[in-house]
Amino acid sequence: MRLPRLFRTTTFRLMLVFLALFEAAAAAFLAYIYISTAGEVRLRSERLITKEMHSLEAVYEQGGVNSLNQAIIERTASDRPFLYLLLSPKGTKISGSIAQSPIDDFNGDKEWKKFNVTETDPDGAEVQKGARGLQERLKSGEMLFIGADEGESESYVHKIVRALWGAEVLVVILGLGGGILVSRNVSRSMQGLNDLVAAVRTGDIRARAKVRGTRDEIDELAEGLNDMLDRLEHSMGGLRHAGDAIAHDLRSPLTRLRARLEVALIDVEAGKGDPKQGLIQAVEDADGVLRTFNAVLAIARLQAAGQVPDPKEFDPGALALDVAELYEPLCEEKGLDFKSEVTPGLKARGNREFVAQALANLIDNAIKYTPEGGAVMLRMRRRSSGEIEFSVTDTGPGVPDEDLARVVQRFVRLENSRNQPGAGLGLSLVVAVAEAHGGRLELAEGPGKIGEFGPGLRVALVLPAG
Amino acid sequence: MRILIIEDDIEAAGAMKHGLTEAGYDCTHAADGEAGLAIAREGGFDVLIVDRMMPKMDGIQLVTTLRREGDATPVLFLSALGEVDDRITGLKAGGDDYLVKPYAFAELTARVEALSRRRETGAVATTLKVGDLEMNLISRSVHRQGQEIDLQPREFQLLEFMMRHAGQSVTRTMLLEKVWEYHFDPQTNVIDVHISRLRSKIDKGFDRAMLQTVRGAGYRLDP
Repeated sequence: MRLPRLFRTTTFRLMLVFLALFEAAAAAFLAYIYISTAGEVRLRSERLITKEMHSLEAVYEQGGVNSLNQAIIERTASDRPFLYLLLSPKGTKISGSIAQSPIDDFNGDKEWKKFNVTETDPDGAEVQKGARGLQERLKSGEMLFIGADEGESESYVHKIVRALWGAEVLVVILGLGGGILVSRNVSRSMQGLNDLVAAVRTGDIRARAKVRGTRDEIDELAEGLNDMLDRLEHSMGGLRHAGDAIAHDLRSPLTRLRARLEVALIDVEAGKGDPKQGLIQAVEDADGVLRTFNAVLAIARLQAAGQVPDPKEFDPGALALDVAELYEPLCEEKGLDFKSEVTPGLKARGNREFVAQALANLIDNAIKYTPEGGAVMLRMRRRSSGEIEFSVTDTGPGVPDEDLARVVQRFVRLENSRNQPGAGLGLSLVVAVAEAHGGRLELAEGPGKIGEFGPGLRVALVLPAG
Repeated sequence: MRILIIEDDIEAAGAMKHGLTEAGYDCTHAADGEAGLAIAREGGFDVLIVDRMMPKMDGIQLVTTLRREGDATPVLFLSALGEVDDRITGLKAGGDDYLVKPYAFAELTARVEALSRRRETGAVATTLKVGDLEMNLISRSVHRQGQEIDLQPREFQLLEFMMRHAGQSVTRTMLLEKVWEYHFDPQTNVIDVHISRLRSKIDKGFDRAMLQTVRGAGYRLDP
């Protein structure tokens, strides 16, 4: 049989363990109190009995058995808290307050004995009380027994023990009750998370855990799960979008490629014309398809990993100059004024190769869209926030405000750029690189309208502070 | 020049063999890692072209084994895995170059050519000489027909690479990888502009152009 869910929870089990530990400690405590109290009570009555015995023995030493008998009769009559019994050497009673000794087979000189006495309390009920007694043999052979009941102190100990047991029971009840409450509470919170997991498992990637605002570990877990699902949904959305986009962007060049090959084949079969030109173009088409495919793959991998591979510390200024050096001749050839402005000696952390590629893409875009006579500027500086900023500013036509957010999406190419080569993946890759470094991409208007140039575009790749 | 192609994709290997035979190489093909290792052990090859992922024994394991046995034949890895770490793993295992699939055939032949000739220039030289072009690696100066040519540091590196591979086709990707140490493909042909700058410095004013463009492949420095 399976236990109800509540009793199978971790909280409840933990609570049981603690309860058991607490109970064990309480039991040990109780035993200690009992042993020490009871021991104290016994010692005290033994001391009193021994003292009385000494006093009566002194009487015996002075006046013999008769004086002792006299003293016992006197003491029995007075209201002393002792029981007395004087026995002849043969064991018959001479005098005393009890009829016979609790010790049946007395052989030695001295013997302690624990026994019970029956008393009648004021209500007439009979009460059994514990008692202790000492019997000694006198020099002349008679035996003297002195006893005392432990009643008062014994019942005191009993009371304490009862109270402790009561406390124990109370602890168990409170512990169990509290445990059930606490574990029900925790289970309820966990149930929310379990429901979420179940929902996601059945395919509802949009489900989110409720954050109760208590800032406890369950809230933290819920937030963590939500964050994880956000990322997952984002990258799944990205993949879906990429899938659609790949299908769209690869289908047309593949169709073109196929047509070219087919035409070349027809030409060869008909024995007319040179198929070489068609084949050369087919190879170029295939290269284009591969480039698109590689770019999509690189973006998807970065987004899926959520971080760049093999991050290392590097000098962002040196990197910027390196890329600038690579592109400067191209700018010159296109009749563009190229400048770079770099803060030396800074440090950044990331994958140098990916940052270089992102930067190359930005400059590449700037060169592609800026008409002859324009300018391209590369800057690298540290912002006051400590972030590392690489920015590329051009004096091209820029991007209308309403399109700024759109251009960073995959495969988005604005209408006026349709005649330029490229798959529209350059900026998407830069965004992926920025995000994988924990940074971002910022787009803004360039230097503004100057004659036939501008307003231009300023794209900044911002990496977190090194 | 003898080449051993160890590649499990029979069709790709066939095309590769056809193309390389056409380019004047003597090619042998092995269709899996174990067979490849056995043939490679017989020796006598100038370059091994090894696919990274193959049945029975993968390329990394094969090359690691060969290197451990003391075989130093240049290895060109072919792989569909193009991540930075994959490349590093391949080169650490003893590969000499790493080409990511799919590749242009010109890229493959250029790299095979570079690898097959590498052994011949083993000695450390302080000067390079190609035709009437001379490069002093210590004073970092370049002369053609005794006339000093002033080069920027990157142009010097570029020319050094071209001179070390004189007479061979060198692709844009190879230049980007070996001279700039970038492993990505710039969208526009930035390399072309660097080459044309270099060309204007070493060829302008001389009766014969040394730096040639090889159609569909890249460039070649002719003596």
